[in-house]
Order: sequence, then structure tokens, then C-alpha cells
Amino acid sequence: MILDYFRFSLSTFGGRKLRTALTILGIFIGIAAVVSLISLGQGMQNAIDEQFEMLGSDRITVTPGGGDMSSPMTTELVAAKLYDHDVEVIQKVNGVDNAIGVLVRTTKVEYRGKSRHTMLFASSTDSKSIKFIQNIDYFMLEKGRYPKESEKYKATVAYDTGNSLFDREIKIGEKIIVNGRNLEVVAITKKTGNPVHDTKVTMPLDTARDLFGVEDELSLIFVETNTGFEPAEVAENIEDALRKDHRVKKGEEDFTVTTAEQMIASFKGMLGMMQAFLVGIAFISLLVGGVGIMNTMYTSVLERTREIGIMKSIGARNIDIMAVFVIESGLLGLVGGAVGVVMGYAIGKTTEMIVVASGVTMLKVFYSTELIIGALLFSLIVGSLSGMLPAIEASRKNPADSLRYRR
Amino acid sequence: MILMMEDYVKTAYRDIKNRKKRSWLTMIGIIIGVAAVVSLVSLGQGLKDGMNAEFDKMGAEIIMIMPGSGFQSMGSAGSSLTKDDVEVIKKVRGVNLAGGFLTKIAKVEFGNEMKYSWVSGLPLDESKEIIDNMDSHNIENGRDLKRGDTYKTMVGNTVANGDFFKKKVRAGDYVMINGKKFRVVGTLERIGNPDDDQAFMIPLETARDLFDEPDNLMVIMANIKPGFDASDVAENIKKAMRKDRDQEKGEEDFSVQTAEQLKETVASILNLVQAVLIGIAGISLLVGGIGIMNTMYTSVLERTRDIGVMKAIGARNVNIMWIFLIESGIIGMTGGAIGCAIGISISKSIEYLSSAQLGVNYLKASVAPELIIGALSFSFLVGMLSGTLPAMRAARLKPTDALRYE
Repeated sequence: MILDYFRFSLSTFGGRKLRTALTILGIFIGIAAVVSLISLGQGMQNAIDEQFEMLGSDRITVTPGGGDMSSPMTTELVAAKLYDHDVEVIQKVNGVDNAIGVLVRTTKVEYRGKSRHTMLFASSTDSKSIKFIQNIDYFMLEKGRYPKESEKYKATVAYDTGNSLFDREIKIGEKIIVNGRNLEVVAITKKTGNPVHDTKVTMPLDTARDLFGVEDELSLIFVETNTGFEPAEVAENIEDALRKDHRVKKGEEDFTVTTAEQMIASFKGMLGMMQAFLVGIAFISLLVGGVGIMNTMYTSVLERTREIGIMKSIGARNIDIMAVFVIESGLLGLVGGAVGVVMGYAIGKTTEMIVVASGVTMLKVFYSTELIIGALLFSLIVGSLSGMLPAIEASRKNPADSLRYRR
Repeated sequence: MILMMEDYVKTAYRDIKNRKKRSWLTMIGIIIGVAAVVSLVSLGQGLKDGMNAEFDKMGAEIIMIMPGSGFQSMGSAGSSLTKDDVEVIKKVRGVNLAGGFLTKIAKVEFGNEMKYSWVSGLPLDESKEIIDNMDSHNIENGRDLKRGDTYKTMVGNTVANGDFFKKKVRAGDYVMINGKKFRVVGTLERIGNPDDDQAFMIPLETARDLFDEPDNLMVIMANIKPGFDASDVAENIKKAMRKDRDQEKGEEDFSVQTAEQLKETVASILNLVQAVLIGIAGISLLVGGIGIMNTMYTSVLERTRDIGVMKAIGARNVNIMWIFLIESGIIGMTGGAIGCAIGISISKSIEYLSSAQLGVNYLKASVAPELIIGALSFSFLVGMLSGTLPAMRAARLKPTDALRYE
């Protein structure tokens, strides 16, 4: 029975090749746009995940300032500060394995008579801190060694700082001048893909405090949780401890505790909103394509009025007639969707190639099976729904009138 | 020809009416596409106009010096501008006044409420004139900050009218900023930008103390002496700062932009965003056009015998072609007109929502006559183009075959 429906539906496609092709084209364009946009967006989300994995998914970041406006992105803009004392408080919190304070400054770096402004990250160089730091991708070394606790005026330069920020490559053992002081370069960190961390300079915390004349102030605190503890819970413990120490009420904190998870979520939320907007606009064309299917189906019903009459007179029920047309429109949608998925894949891959060629290596389009199945299913649904009204009209036709119908 | 045209239109109109449902569905395709494009264009244009107005408030003779590569890196790259830079800039030929600003996100308290907001340190020396000349710096109540003020603040309109704290902040009240007590000396008129309207202005020297930032500045503003060209002076500033920092052209870690250049930078970003959005929305117009083509092919097929009859009584190919072209053009344009109306109402509602709900003043739907005329002629063109292939097929039909067609 179902097979007969299909055969009958397919017979129309053959007869009206041009119309069928144009109708399918309408759906396929929309699906191609949606698929390529979603796959690109998914690729971007994956890139963000990768960035955060570098920071470590069980890590917690404490930054100064509270409220909606403070985040790890705006540390330097926030007036509030963190202090060494906060690190001590955090280290005592249940579930905290280790905590390390980092001082961040924008500073002038000179090398062979050239000067650049870049970010400086300074952290302690005791063995415990080094052990912590060397597990964070942002601070992993390409070559050289971490400064020893006893060493003062040593610096580590990031990959791009060493290789391309200045006209000449900085070599280990050479001197750079930071804020007017000579420092010996002892190491070069690995490339991370994050522009801030690829152009930074790092140095021992005490040296940096000397150079910038700050006492015990910090810009952010990295926290590592003990295995077996849930980072979100540890984050709450830290909040409690700091609130108690700073004597502030809930909601009036002058610090912000962010888990890696939360950071990813807020980033992804923004990206997701943007993507939803674009996909929404792209969906409009799918809607228009659906209207096109409906139109084609109405024409098809009209043209086959006599056939409908014959079928009904030899015993076809309303539901049979309806099935014939819904299957036909569903097939139109599905074929359009299939071509669209292939086309969307091609567009996404091309965009990826262009982006990669232009130097941004972050983007890799991602096609999940869900996306492909979803797109196909969706186009099938769009097709069937668009065919619903014409099919109902066809099924309600009076057999006698239909047999008498002439074009 | 005019008489002929009338006949074409009449024939087209009759056919569209006879195939009501199909014509409507075809038009819906175009309506949706045009509505999407029109609303996006008018909002985009409105946003651009709003931004331009913001920059015009600044005045054309203003030059902004920012750390990093400009707007984008303001804040995130931290501040690499210092007091010394202000001195360097002041000495540049053509510069009248130069002053630095120090802006931070800081804790603000009023009554028993605590929040975070932007706190801006303004220079109160002679360079204050730069701010005074801006249209966005108008006192609503109380007085402006003046030289010699310490630990005084002037608050934005949102703070003053009670939308920021639960209670209204009036001149004479005391607020806490970053833990220190400040007397409110005045309130500002509404600017229309949510960030600016909830800001607290304090004297620069006080800000340096308060935030423990003796040197750094977030942005430096300069204005020019009469008779000088803003972009020339901007070049001079760049040259002087490069020399001071020992940098070569192209290696700057600061950016100098005139109000005009800022306007262009923002406009070019907006244009890009708008182009992407319209491009995606344009896809639906393409799909709508395909719908017209489909309808026209069907229409040609259905009227094959009519075409045969017309040809038999002397209609030339070009006459047949025009009949179908006009028909598809009318479908396109009618769809375009309705789409225009819907698109404009969509963008007007968004404008209303954004100003009523978000307090954003600069998102205004701009409906230029060019936009309407453009959309109408474009949709007519889409209709005609989509109808071209079907019309050509109709025109080429052999009269004998056409008459025999069933």
C-alpha cells in the first residue's frame, strides 16, 4: 500500500521535472544556509572549549570586583583589588589543592632598542607555585626553564613575544628591558592560540612588585581543586570564606569567583545568541521554501483532479488520497534537504579553508550526526506540513465533480 | 505602446485574479523576503545614524588617543597611555588642549545599596573645555565639577532619576565610591547610552588617589586650534608619540583617531554586520524569486492553448513575452509593497521596544524614501527576472503545437 503511494507520488515528479526541480531548489537553498551556519557556529563553540581546556576544567579563577560588570575580562578596569592575604584564605578552603596569585600589568618591554607595550603576568617562583603553573597550558614552556626561587631579574617570554613581536627573535640568555629594568630571558612559552597569552611576558612576582612599586596587591588568583571535589562547590566555599574574611554580605562581594565551567557557559551563551539570530534569519528562507512547496502541491492537486476522481470512484478513501499528496510533498522536502545538507557542508568547509588561509587557525567546522539527521528530518517535516493543506483539499474533492473536471 | 501596456497589465491582472490562491502563495514568498530585508536595512541605517549623532555630539575637532589598536582593545588591553603622553600631545603643532581620562569599574554605594558602575576621572584643568564643548555634557541639576574640587561627583541621569539605586540621587547627597565618601554636586541630562547614563564623574586627581593609578590613563582627548585640519593634527600627534616611544610607522601600540575617523571605523564595522545579515535575509528573496519562476512556468503551461490562439490571430513573440513578464513583475512588486509595509512595522516595533525596555536611544528605524523605492523596484526586478525564462519559453511556443496542446 505504502509502496503504491510512493510510486504514484514519484510519477508526478517525472512528469513535471522542471517544477519539481525548482521547488526542491527553494528548500535546498534554505537548508544549505542553515546547515553551514550551524556547523560554523558549532566549530566556534568547539574552539572555545579547547581554549578553556588549556586553563583546566577543574580550575577556578578569582577576580577583583563584584556585580554584573566584573569578570575575568575586565580585571584591569576594575578598581577593587585582591591581596596576598586572599590567597592564604583561599588555600585553607576545603577542596582547594593550591592557589596562586598573579599580578597583571600592561608594560613597556624593550629589546635591542625597540619598545612594545604588552601584558605582564607575574607569579611566585617557589617550587609549589611552579608545579601549579607548569600544568596550565598558558604557562607551559617551549624551551628553557622556569626561574628558580632565588632568582630575581629573570623573565619568560611568550611564543609570539619571542618570535614576532620584535624585529628580531629573542634568544634565551638575552636581555630585555621591562619598565626600565634589565631582565634575562630564561624561557619561551608554548604557542596557545590566545593572542593575549602569546604576546605576554612573565616574571617572578617579587620582582614585578619591585618594578611597579606595589606591596601585596594581586590582579587575579588561580585555584586548583582537589581531585574528587566538584569545582562548583569549591567555588561556593571560596565565596563563603572570602565573604567572611572581607566582612561583606551576600550580593555585596568585592570579588568574583568563576569556575572554568561558568566562563565557558557565559562565552557560549553569547555566541549561541548570535548564532540563533543568524540561523533565525536563515530560517526565513526555509519558510519561503515551504510556501513554495505548498504552491506546487496546490497546482499538482488541481492538475490531477481527474485522477483523484478516478481513484475515488474505484474505492480510494479520503485518507488514501491525502497520504498520496503528503508523501509527495514530504519527498520534495526531503530531497531538497539532502541536497542542502551536502551543499551546506561544502559551504562550511570552504569558509573554514578561507578562514584558515587568512591566518586564524581557531576555526574548524563541525558536523554532528545530529545536525545532519536533524536537517533531513526537518526538511521532511517542512515538506509534509506544507503539503498538508493541499492534501486535505485533494482528499475532500467530490468524486463526481472531479471526474467532470477539465482544465 | 501605451495602449499595449494597458492591455498587458489587464491580462496579467486577470490571470493573477483567476489563480488567486497560487498568486497569493507566490507573493507571500516575496513578502517575507522583502519584509526581512527592509526591516534589517532600516534598523541598520538607524543604528548608523544614531552612532553618527553620538559622534557629532563630540564635535568634529576632537581627536581621541587610545591605547592598543583602538576601540576594540580599550579596556581589555589595559592602559598604555600615561601622563607623559598628555604632555607630548600638548606640544604638537595644531593641538589646542589635551586632557586624559581615567575610567574604572568601581563599587558605588548609596543609602544601604551597593552596586558596580563606571567611574570616570575627568581633567579639571584648562582641558576641561573639551568636555564642556560636548553636547552630551549638559547639567540638569546642581553644578558642574570645577577646578579645586576633590571627592565630589557628578552623576548620570539614570542614577539621578532613581533607576539605578532605589532612591533618587540629588545634588547635595553623599555617595560612597570605592569605599570613600563623595558629595554629589550635580546631575547630568540623559545621554541615551545606558553605560554613560549610569556613570559617576569625579575629578581626575581624586580618581588617581582613589584608584591608586598615578600615571595610567584610559583615553586622551585633544581638540585643535582653529584653522587646522583634524586629520593633519592627528598625523602630527601620531608622529610625535612614535618619536617619543621610539616606534616606527606601523608598530604603534596606540591609536589616534579624529571624530570623523572614529565614525568611519564604527560605520565600517556596522556595514559589515549589516551586509552579512542582509546577505542571509537575501537568500529568502532568492527563494521567493524561484517561487515566482515556478508559478510562471505553471502559468505558461496552463495557458499554452491561449498562447496558440493569440499567436494564430497575429500576436508576435515579443507580445507574448511581455504578457508574462508584466505578470511576474506585478507579483513581485505587489509582494514587495506588502513586504515593505510589514518590514517597516517590524523595525518600528523593535525601535519602540529597545527605547522603552532597554533605555537605548540610538536604535531608531530609519525609513528613507530611497529604501522604499529601492525595495519596490528591486522586488519588481526580482519578479521580472524570475519571469524571464518562463516568458521566453511562452514566446517561443509554435502556434500549431500550442493549439494542439491538451
